[in-house]
Amino acid sequence: MIAGAWVCLLAPLAGAIAITIAGGRISRRTAGWISTLTTFVAFAGAVVAFVGLWAADPSDREQVSTAYTWLAAGDFQVQVQILLDTLSSTMMLVVSGVGGLIVWYSMGYMAGDDEERRYFAYMSLFVFAMLLLVQSGNFLLLLAGWGLVGLASYLLIGFWHQRPEAVAAAKKAFVMNAIGDATLALGLVLLIWQTGTLEFAGVFQQAGSLSTTMVNLVALGLLGGAVAKSAQIPLHTWLPDAMEGPTPVSALIHAATMVTAGVYLLVRASPIFEAAPDVQHLAAILGAITLLVAGAVALVQWDIKRVIAYSTMSQIGYMFLAAGIGAYGYAIFHLVTHAFFKALLFMSAGVVIHHLDGEQDIRKMGGLRKVMPRTHIAFLAGALALAGIPIFSGFWSKDGIMAAAFASNDALGAVLYAAGLVGALLTGLYTFRLYFTVFRGEPSEFVQEHAHEGNGEGPRSMLVPVGVLAVLATIGGLVVIPGVWEPFLDWIDQTAEPLVTATVTEDYGTSAIAVALALIGFLVARRAFSSGRQLVTNPAVWRVLEHKLYFDELYDALFYRPAAALSQTLRRNVEEPVVARSLDEIGSGTIQVGGEVARAQSGLLRTYALAVALAVSVLVIVFVAVR
Amino acid sequence: MDGPDVGWYLIVAAVLFGIGALGVMLRRSPLIVLLSLEIMLNAANLTLVAFARQQGSLDGQIFALAVMAVAAAEVAIGLGLIVAMARRHVPLDVDQARALRG
Repeated sequence: MIAGAWVCLLAPLAGAIAITIAGGRISRRTAGWISTLTTFVAFAGAVVAFVGLWAADPSDREQVSTAYTWLAAGDFQVQVQILLDTLSSTMMLVVSGVGGLIVWYSMGYMAGDDEERRYFAYMSLFVFAMLLLVQSGNFLLLLAGWGLVGLASYLLIGFWHQRPEAVAAAKKAFVMNAIGDATLALGLVLLIWQTGTLEFAGVFQQAGSLSTTMVNLVALGLLGGAVAKSAQIPLHTWLPDAMEGPTPVSALIHAATMVTAGVYLLVRASPIFEAAPDVQHLAAILGAITLLVAGAVALVQWDIKRVIAYSTMSQIGYMFLAAGIGAYGYAIFHLVTHAFFKALLFMSAGVVIHHLDGEQDIRKMGGLRKVMPRTHIAFLAGALALAGIPIFSGFWSKDGIMAAAFASNDALGAVLYAAGLVGALLTGLYTFRLYFTVFRGEPSEFVQEHAHEGNGEGPRSMLVPVGVLAVLATIGGLVVIPGVWEPFLDWIDQTAEPLVTATVTEDYGTSAIAVALALIGFLVARRAFSSGRQLVTNPAVWRVLEHKLYFDELYDALFYRPAAALSQTLRRNVEEPVVARSLDEIGSGTIQVGGEVARAQSGLLRTYALAVALAVSVLVIVFVAVR
Repeated sequence: MDGPDVGWYLIVAAVLFGIGALGVMLRRSPLIVLLSLEIMLNAANLTLVAFARQQGSLDGQIFALAVMAVAAAEVAIGLGLIVAMARRHVPLDVDQARALRG
């Protein structure tokens, strides 16, 4: 079973290398197949590992496999090792499974692009990096995976490098992520200093015995990394811009897998966060703020992908909330169901965008239900799951998170609970605003133009993955039915014991309220849509939301402008007068000295001989005198 | 050991070297300068051989042979240059051949 895990890790890497080395010698289609098949091989490996782990004795469900020692500095050693436990096997299944479907979908979506091979090499690289992140057995390999997914994300956001917005978005994502990477790395340095190891087991054993300050600092470092990677406030501004990348990239990296890495880290490092409860609560609070802010901003966006991107931030906010109060099982459960329904939403949106020749503005869309009935059903399944309507997957996971907040029984829990419920209302509003605007009503002029000569609903390679995800988004949540059976939670609990567990009554009570709120959201959205109004009518509020609460402007004023002003000042006062001038003067000075020295070269042979003779005589005298 | 003391050889060598050096520095004909150079080389050879004899080792003598070989090569080139200068009617005066001044 551990062999399955290694296959899972290395197959996508082999795919990336194969596509890179083969270069132009293989057709674009072959590159796509290599990428897709290696990802599915990884999925097969993950299944083997999962089944093996399932069959193993519960006491034996934490297996470390070491390939070799990577670094050794005295007693401090880092091995290339993977950890196979219930948490990592779940993540492996999600990453390789959803990843495989999305890469397959890409073959249809990207068909005809000039640089498909490069695209598929990047995709395989990303899948490898993400698997490295979730399978790593120590923090250093995790950090390596962490950095590599950031790199792959950068490369893929900027994939269409002819577009300046895409390049700018890629840089923004990279810089924001680098901040998180830096704090994560600093946290790890503290861990090396304090515990002398980076292996999960060793660190977690000593987490309780660290001083409060130290463990708080370490937890803050980890949280900083998680916040940046998962696009939580205050490091969230890169995610909406990242929608400049191809849609399958948004589905894979910026919805299903990479952005949830922060949640994985919070759960994986739960012993550290439990030793630093304040930081853990901070994670929950940041999650709650993000879920509200992102949900509100999603109400006013016009770009179909940006709406879904804000929804992603909002849903990850729920996961942070869950991980912050210690409901680890539900955090991962929501991560999994979110991977299903959000990838589904992105891919359905991708089908729409593909059909409309790249148009993303929902004002030009409308009535697509009649034109694209199958896509409509898939999108509707995703929307219902996102809004948390019963039996759809999001219902089981999101309500569980809110019930856990309620069950934590303190002031913070109550606030988080309220935030979660408001978030549920917002989710219903923005989801169905999108749904009604895009799919209901009469087909708009723009849609009618494209209805006949358009691409239809896309090739089979796009529709099959969408169909599979639609099924998963619908029934994927049935692995946890509170009070009836909860195999998923039991599975995750073996790695991260939850701090709070809601009773069955709390669970269903919360669900009743949340579903009612989601339905209110649905009805309000339908009402607004049928009367042609927007959900946010106050122009001042609209403006604030449209500017995403002025975060970009704030960062511009706080960081970019002072830095730019400082650079300008330095250029005027240091670079130009000191550095540039000194270079000129060194040059002219050398020429002058050279001119003076050249006079000694008279061309008179006898003078040279005299000089040599004199010099030798001086040397002789000196030698003799010194002796 | 037979023969005069090594000091005498050194005196002769020093005198020869001085003559050669003065010749290089004072004479303007390249031919004479070349001859003077040979005298200086031979002064050096003399000291090498003298010390070789004093030490009872052959190293100095072999070195002197090497110097002679080099000197012969140098004379060949030097004389060749002088002949070439004469053919082109370049004045045979080292003070006038100063095209390489800086």
